[in-house]
Amino acid sequence: MANSLAFRAVTKRFGSVVAVNNVSFDIASGETVALLGPSGCGKTTILRVIAGFETPDAGSLQIGGVEMAGRRPYERNVGLLFQHYALFPHMTVAQNVGYGLRYRGLPRSEIGPRVSEMLELVKLPGHGGRYPNQLSGGQQQRIALARALATQPSILLLDEPLSALDVKLRQELRAELKDVLATVGSTAIVVTHDHEEAMSLGHRVFVMNQGRIAQSGTPDDIYVRPTSRFVADFMGHANWFTGRRTGPSEYATDCGRILNVVPCTQPSAEQCDLCLRPESIDLLPATIEAGPNRLFGHVADVILTGASRQLIVTLEDGRSILVLQQNRTQLPWTPGQGVVLGFPPEACVLVPRDSS
Amino acid sequence: MTAAARGRVGDDIARTGVAAVLIVAAIFLLVPLLVTILMAFDSRSYLGPLPPPGFSLRWFVACFSRQTLAVGLRTSLALGILATAISTSAGTAAAIALERGTFPGRTILSALFLSPLIVPPVVIGFALLLALSQAGILNGFVRLLCGHVVITLPYTIRAVSASLAGRDASLTEAALGLGASERQALWTITVPLARTGIMIGAIFAFAVSFDDVSVASFLTDPTTYTLPVALLSAMRANFDLTIAAAAVLLMVATVILIFILDRAVGFDRLVGQGMFRT
Repeated sequence: MANSLAFRAVTKRFGSVVAVNNVSFDIASGETVALLGPSGCGKTTILRVIAGFETPDAGSLQIGGVEMAGRRPYERNVGLLFQHYALFPHMTVAQNVGYGLRYRGLPRSEIGPRVSEMLELVKLPGHGGRYPNQLSGGQQQRIALARALATQPSILLLDEPLSALDVKLRQELRAELKDVLATVGSTAIVVTHDHEEAMSLGHRVFVMNQGRIAQSGTPDDIYVRPTSRFVADFMGHANWFTGRRTGPSEYATDCGRILNVVPCTQPSAEQCDLCLRPESIDLLPATIEAGPNRLFGHVADVILTGASRQLIVTLEDGRSILVLQQNRTQLPWTPGQGVVLGFPPEACVLVPRDSS
Repeated sequence: MTAAARGRVGDDIARTGVAAVLIVAAIFLLVPLLVTILMAFDSRSYLGPLPPPGFSLRWFVACFSRQTLAVGLRTSLALGILATAISTSAGTAAAIALERGTFPGRTILSALFLSPLIVPPVVIGFALLLALSQAGILNGFVRLLCGHVVITLPYTIRAVSASLAGRDASLTEAALGLGASERQALWTITVPLARTGIMIGAIFAFAVSFDDVSVASFLTDPTTYTLPVALLSAMRANFDLTIAAAAVLLMVATVILIFILDRAVGFDRLVGQGMFRT
């Protein structure tokens, strides 16, 4: 597939702050990429550079093989969905959705049918006569999407598209957004700070930190095989052990435990950290005998969150481990109860120790 | 008495106090106007004690037949309309530039534009008189126009800024992203959004221009003077109730204007947002 977007060694500074630091990536046509990172990591700046609102200090940018340097925002065919939608309050829904069509040279007679088609696409047919302030938050979001897609942009940029909505609506609209993107086959970049949103929307996820892409890959790849402590922590809760590798598939924690890991060559340094996801730990009865990858402790607290429950287990040496369980077994774990934590070697992920 | 009960008594006293102050303030505002209205219809030919023994329209007749007041009214209207037009266009442009601009010196420029609110009008009038004389501008109307554009500009800028505050940036970017040029975005997005602010600014500008005495008294010449200046000199020359009649006419005009504005924009928006929202 042809590359829809090529980002080449782009750097953007604001005063002494380097917002985007020598970032390069390619996005294939029809692909959705999620830019994920904490606020201030440079993800929104990348979006604004692509849209043409910011000029990069170094590097180049091509959309559909065409160099974008020196092109103003309206000379690029880029669709934008803003965090707070930026619907024009003095125009009706139909005028909002049709706004871009006027300037993209569509004959007047075709604007009406195209607007209806877009409203159909976002499941709000017949809402053309309303004003934005007569719509709910979810409806505004969908109209903003329809407006952005109406001009058939070569790339669609979504800036925190769902963050202004409440949790339940957000999950509903996330699925809808994914459907619409698939239907239209649009190339898209979603900027978000929510790892669930990034993983569910993106074919690929770029995790950003301090102006750089810390790791890129499929959502699964990034969640299961983080290559740094930052990425592992950002993608979800992680239990950490510090120690060193003592053999091809053996890891010794600083407090003297030996854990079995899957044989691997990365990271190359002997000193490294071990990440254990809370959901990959099994709870075993305290009567079980000792074995590899079994840790003895007692339940300190049980937190019910609905579909799952979190258990905080204190090990013999006093450190706490978070365990996530489906809320389905009838075994009532209660605080104070003895428990054994068990996990397979595949659950242990080694990442390089941060130098900082 | 418990602490809570003492608190309640304190609150009650404070509430009564606030109500009393409001009533006194309202009386102070209204009584002079009522006295003026009453006196304007006085049938006596001299200024006598209240209440007047009879009513007549003689002062209104006198008001209309007095040449200087008619000239002043004509000048004031022409000046007000022209100053409002210039000030509204310039103020709108300045507000849009200040609102979106990130250019150096933006805050200084903004403060400069709003400075006529703080600088005493007497100073503005005197300074303009000197400067315009140096520049060779001696035409009274042009001088008055310059003065009134200066003193009305802060009002139009403030009103337009208030209507644009916080909403313009992403909307303009959205328009640009949809293919509109900056000029097209200005006319289809920014100006329509600022429309209320522009109207409110224009109204305030006209009111300020029509009302001004201090700046105008420096800039008038023997044949070009505004209504307030004419009223002032009429009062100095021979103090009679013609002025009361003129004041009543102005009050009626103001009430009609406010009524129209209330219908058009809503009085709350006019007073509540136009000037005092930042």
